[in-house]
Amino acid sequence: MRPLYRAWLYFVAWLGGMALWLFYNKGTALWWQPLAICAICVALFIVTERRGCPPGGLQLVSVLVLLGWVFLFRLDSGWAARQFWGFVVGAGAYLLGLLLPWLHPRFGQLAAVAALTLLVLALVFGTRISGARAWLTVFDTFTFQPVEFARILLIIYLGGELAQNRLNVKSAAVLGLFLLLLALQTDLGPALLVFLVFSALYFTISFSWLKLVLFLGLGTAAAAAAVWKFPHLRTRLLAWLTPWDFLDSKGYQVLQGIFALNAGGLVGRGMGEGMADVIPAAHTDYILAVIGEEFGLLGTFALLLVYVGLAFWAFRLLLEVGDGRLRLIGLGFTLLLHVQVLLVVGGILRLIPFTGMTLPFVSYGSSSLTAQLWMFGMLTRLGREQL
Amino acid sequence: MNGQMRRWFLGTAACYVIILGGLLYWHLAADLGTHSANPRYYRVFSEPRGTIVDRRGEPLAVTLGEEENFRRSYAAASLTHVVGYFHPRYGMTALERIYHEELLVGRTVQTTIDLELQLKVESLMEGRIGAAVALSPATGEVLALVSSPWIDGNVLAERWSEYSEDGRSPFLNRVTQGQYPPGSVIKPIVYGTALERELTSPDQIWNDQGVFRVDGRTVQNFGGRSLGAITTEEALALSSNTVFAELAVELGDDLLSVLRRFALGSEPLWELGGQSGFVPQRAYSDHNKALLGIGQGELLVTPLQMGMVAAALANRGVLMQPYLVQELRGGFRLRQITRPVELGQVLSESVAAQVRDAMVLTARSGTAQGVCSDEVQLAAKTGTAQAGAKGDHAWFIGFAPSPMPQIAVAVLVEHGGTGSAAAAPIGAAIIEEALKIWNREKGIR
Repeated sequence: MRPLYRAWLYFVAWLGGMALWLFYNKGTALWWQPLAICAICVALFIVTERRGCPPGGLQLVSVLVLLGWVFLFRLDSGWAARQFWGFVVGAGAYLLGLLLPWLHPRFGQLAAVAALTLLVLALVFGTRISGARAWLTVFDTFTFQPVEFARILLIIYLGGELAQNRLNVKSAAVLGLFLLLLALQTDLGPALLVFLVFSALYFTISFSWLKLVLFLGLGTAAAAAAVWKFPHLRTRLLAWLTPWDFLDSKGYQVLQGIFALNAGGLVGRGMGEGMADVIPAAHTDYILAVIGEEFGLLGTFALLLVYVGLAFWAFRLLLEVGDGRLRLIGLGFTLLLHVQVLLVVGGILRLIPFTGMTLPFVSYGSSSLTAQLWMFGMLTRLGREQL
Repeated sequence: MNGQMRRWFLGTAACYVIILGGLLYWHLAADLGTHSANPRYYRVFSEPRGTIVDRRGEPLAVTLGEEENFRRSYAAASLTHVVGYFHPRYGMTALERIYHEELLVGRTVQTTIDLELQLKVESLMEGRIGAAVALSPATGEVLALVSSPWIDGNVLAERWSEYSEDGRSPFLNRVTQGQYPPGSVIKPIVYGTALERELTSPDQIWNDQGVFRVDGRTVQNFGGRSLGAITTEEALALSSNTVFAELAVELGDDLLSVLRRFALGSEPLWELGGQSGFVPQRAYSDHNKALLGIGQGELLVTPLQMGMVAAALANRGVLMQPYLVQELRGGFRLRQITRPVELGQVLSESVAAQVRDAMVLTARSGTAQGVCSDEVQLAAKTGTAQAGAKGDHAWFIGFAPSPMPQIAVAVLVEHGGTGSAAAAPIGAAIIEEALKIWNREKGIR
């Protein structure tokens, strides 16, 4: 066995052991779930390697998923239990992404249609559960967030279009329609994310300073319009600048996040010792604040290292991809993941206004986890020369 | 294309480095533990807390009550200016705030305070406006510290509005924050400086006419009386303004540098902090110099600083850093013991002995005459500092027993009248009580 893999197995075993200890102390019926996550990860790992794809990224992702599960368990075992089933579905999505030719040029147009359809369905039939996010209910039992999948589909389409035809009217129209549909649902975090990733892809194929200035101007104008149009965005912006003046609304969340990080210090207060119950959305958008309070700077820094490692792995993989179109789509996937991490964490740290998205692979949310794993499967597939 | 991928990776990594900067800032650099919107701050009020004890282990501040309904109880009302208070609505102050992290994990904070002496000083100061501090000269340990009026940490909620509206500012710790002209209690330093510079000797004869003329202005003795033919030593004991004005004019800026050596004009570096007082950079006229010699003019000191001066004179001219906490223990951490810190030899040992002799004379036959029995072997100096229309401030500094002093004291009564009448009896009573306690304990040992 190669040393890196062995280290990974040790780490997974350690996390599993930690989880076991947790159950032992709390006496829960969920003791088998982290072990099952480990087992599924190992299975996915073997399948990935058998298919000739680089499995390194999966090691890092499994660490994130386990860490997320452990913290969800610490917050509320019910969330952990549901997150486990989300991961089971996500593992299936990963395999589908790994084994099927999603990125075949023939499906490009279809991806755009699917992305827009999902958003329209969400707009028409969706219900809003937590503030801005739209949910779809299928057959009265299964709920999911269409936007998590729609943005990946859109990047598949835009990456392909940009690589083949540069920027044309059709792709610009699809992007504009997509952003408009998101704006109508007042879901502007994903809109910002998609716009940023699209700009990055566009500048990758044709860069000029004039265009950069144009995009910056366009983005600023759109942001200003959005802030002017939506009062809750204005609150968010002000809560970012002066959270003390907005203690009863969004400023409360911003402050609780940094209070939690500050309470963590270097080594944290220890598992279960933090005041996670006062942080709004502690299990989704603000899970980093909980990790920061209980594991301290060492914990959040380690988490950051895992994401940087994932970025390093992905970009090295992309260097090996010969096909320009696939490489551009792969870049889109990679940036979709990391820009989201940067926006969420930057928001928690008050470096930028908080945009309200999940921390990929760690936060609670089956749709988010499934979509991310599906995208990750497609990215891993690019490590082998095939469509 | 490869270069582009590398650039994107470097860009992403750079963004993560910025994120790391944010993490470093919020985790380590920011200090939000006591922010008013931080619920963690309020949680500490519902948890048991370590005890603060006096030098003998007697509790000064303890947590009483049931789980989730704790309250803090203090052994003496005047301790609020030393130990501080700890209250869910009003926050925390003094030692309760400084050692909050230690107390939170159940550690015991042992102070240098002598509760018995503190209670005695409290009863002596009750009803007056002023400050009193007692120190151990050899170490700088603070044995008692009372600023009157005080707020009672046991009944904060009931009496808060009363305290806030009290015009006598009970929240102000006059020992460390109150700045006053020292008046004649500065004279032992002037005397010591003059002896050190060999400007005079203790038995040099002066002819005190009651008035000293300088720059066309006059400096008069207290009450305008003339003391006639007196030695320098007697001039200190009887507090002759004319002699000390003349000495100060001759000393000039040398006096200012010695005053600064006594740590006057600088903030005390100890647990409770405090004001620096004021020592001018230099004296611009002879009249200014003369006023400095009798503790008037621009000079300002805090009672703590005068306590340190008395302690240094008692400790053979060695100034010690004052301190309040001698030990932190318990709570599964290492014990921490404070060691006394020397701030330097501010007067030579022989000069300090001569100053002490003059202060003994003051207590025997000078302005501090008859304030306590002879067995005490008191060395003292009184002061009456001019402070405008509301009346003079009364000062007293002293230590005893004079050959091997165990305690040094400074007392200030705001607008109390003369030092001899208003401050000296309080200072003498503090010293007598301290020696009584000390002798009793020596007997046990």
